[in-house]
Amino acid sequence: MLTGNLKEYSESREVKVSVKNLTKCYGDLLVLNDINFDIYKGEMLCIVGPTGCGKTTFLNCLSRFIPITNGSILVDGEPADPKIHNIAFVFQEVSAIPWLTVEDNIRFGLRIKRLPEDEIETRVEKMLDIVGLRKYRTYFPQQLSASMEQRVVIARNFAINPDLLLMDEPYGQLDVKLRYYLEDELMRIWKELGSTVAFITHNIEEAVYLAERILILSPKPCTIREEVIVDLPRPRRYDDPEFVKIRDYVTERIKWW
Amino acid sequence: MTLSKRGMAIIAPVVSIAIFILLWGLVSLNVSADFLPSPLAVLKEGIRLFHAKISGTSLIGHIGWSLSRVLIAFGLAIVLGLPIGLYMGWSRVFEKIVSPIFEVLRPIPPIAWIPIAILWLGVAEGSKIFICFVGAFVIMILNAYTGMRYVDPLLIDAAKSFGATRTQQFINVAIPACMPSIFAGVQNALSMSWMCVLAAEMVGARQGVGFIIIQGMDLNKPSMILVGMVIIGIVGSLLAAALRWIERLLCPWRRELV
Repeated sequence: MLTGNLKEYSESREVKVSVKNLTKCYGDLLVLNDINFDIYKGEMLCIVGPTGCGKTTFLNCLSRFIPITNGSILVDGEPADPKIHNIAFVFQEVSAIPWLTVEDNIRFGLRIKRLPEDEIETRVEKMLDIVGLRKYRTYFPQQLSASMEQRVVIARNFAINPDLLLMDEPYGQLDVKLRYYLEDELMRIWKELGSTVAFITHNIEEAVYLAERILILSPKPCTIREEVIVDLPRPRRYDDPEFVKIRDYVTERIKWW
Repeated sequence: MTLSKRGMAIIAPVVSIAIFILLWGLVSLNVSADFLPSPLAVLKEGIRLFHAKISGTSLIGHIGWSLSRVLIAFGLAIVLGLPIGLYMGWSRVFEKIVSPIFEVLRPIPPIAWIPIAILWLGVAEGSKIFICFVGAFVIMILNAYTGMRYVDPLLIDAAKSFGATRTQQFINVAIPACMPSIFAGVQNALSMSWMCVLAAEMVGARQGVGFIIIQGMDLNKPSMILVGMVIIGIVGSLLAAALRWIERLLCPWRRELV
């Protein structure tokens, strides 16, 4: 019922990232089992799954931190490579660089990618406005609150105009109020920049709130159990009956007990 | 609040040193001056030595000799020890090859090197600098090595996710991340080197603060020995303070924490 418009959804969009037969073993342990899916250009994709299902392994494969056992990951039709493609990664733990000021943190990725200086400056100014940290540009991360620090990381990652932005439970450690605030901020930045985002979370409510499409993963060995399209209007409301229906449906499907 | 804090920062050390001198004075009143001279006697002796020459060199000259030995050795220890230590922490292969050597060298006190240093380099400058160097070098290597081992892997991953090359990861992330432990190493290396120079100067030197102490012993003048010891303490803490100041300049992000 909820997945009926899947075909229509995929036909109306352009494929950005294509994951084919992705398999990952650690020795004899099969963690990812033949995963196939596409991420569309400018899409907000949420990936949910039971704890220990291999979500992190899955992301690490996508970001190419670890070699994959079998299969392929294509970005714009080419094998994914962090040196060619802009793949950005927001980690569970806040990874602002302590010895760099807010603005230098945003410059960090751009400098590594050796962009021309004037281009770097333009993007830094733009990102400072987008995340609202202009006033704090010369502060060091320790001088900021946790949510501001996570915003620095988000700005740093959006600044490189990522082909794919991977977010691994980025708000898992924050309290509810900050999470709501940053979720809205993420929506705003995503709309403004049109980036492609894959957002991993174990919080189903968060997934339904953010996602255009949700991938539900099965327990280990991890495969994709189901895809759910969420076409609720934004801003979404947690108490909207449609919202609750989708949330309950995803919860039901994710159960591994 | 900030004013009283700043006031405390100045008053507290003055008070604690005053109490220490007072206790020293009280003890010295009750024992013979040959056993423990009073603070005043030591001060007088210090002023006398400041104006006199000790074996042809002024007091400042002696301090200069010790300092120059320490600084040469310390500089060499940084130039050689820092890259080796950092690379040991960075490369697993290099670590496996080199670290067992330093595990064995570490427990050997620098003073144990004195006889062999004199045998190799004679009693002149070479052996003294060598002893200071050994002390500082091992500390420098081990601190740089540990600092590098404990670089937050998350920060390396963040750089990797931007496609940073191995060299970029090393220069842009690993080195700044271990600056604090490098500085801890530099501090320890310098104070170790300063301790070693005195030990080295007690053996066959004609200049240096260590020589003043030995001279005091030979002349049977405890106040002169104590002058030497007080100078060691003062110069050592000034060196440490200077390094802390440099650290604040080079690691501005830590200023809020300390």
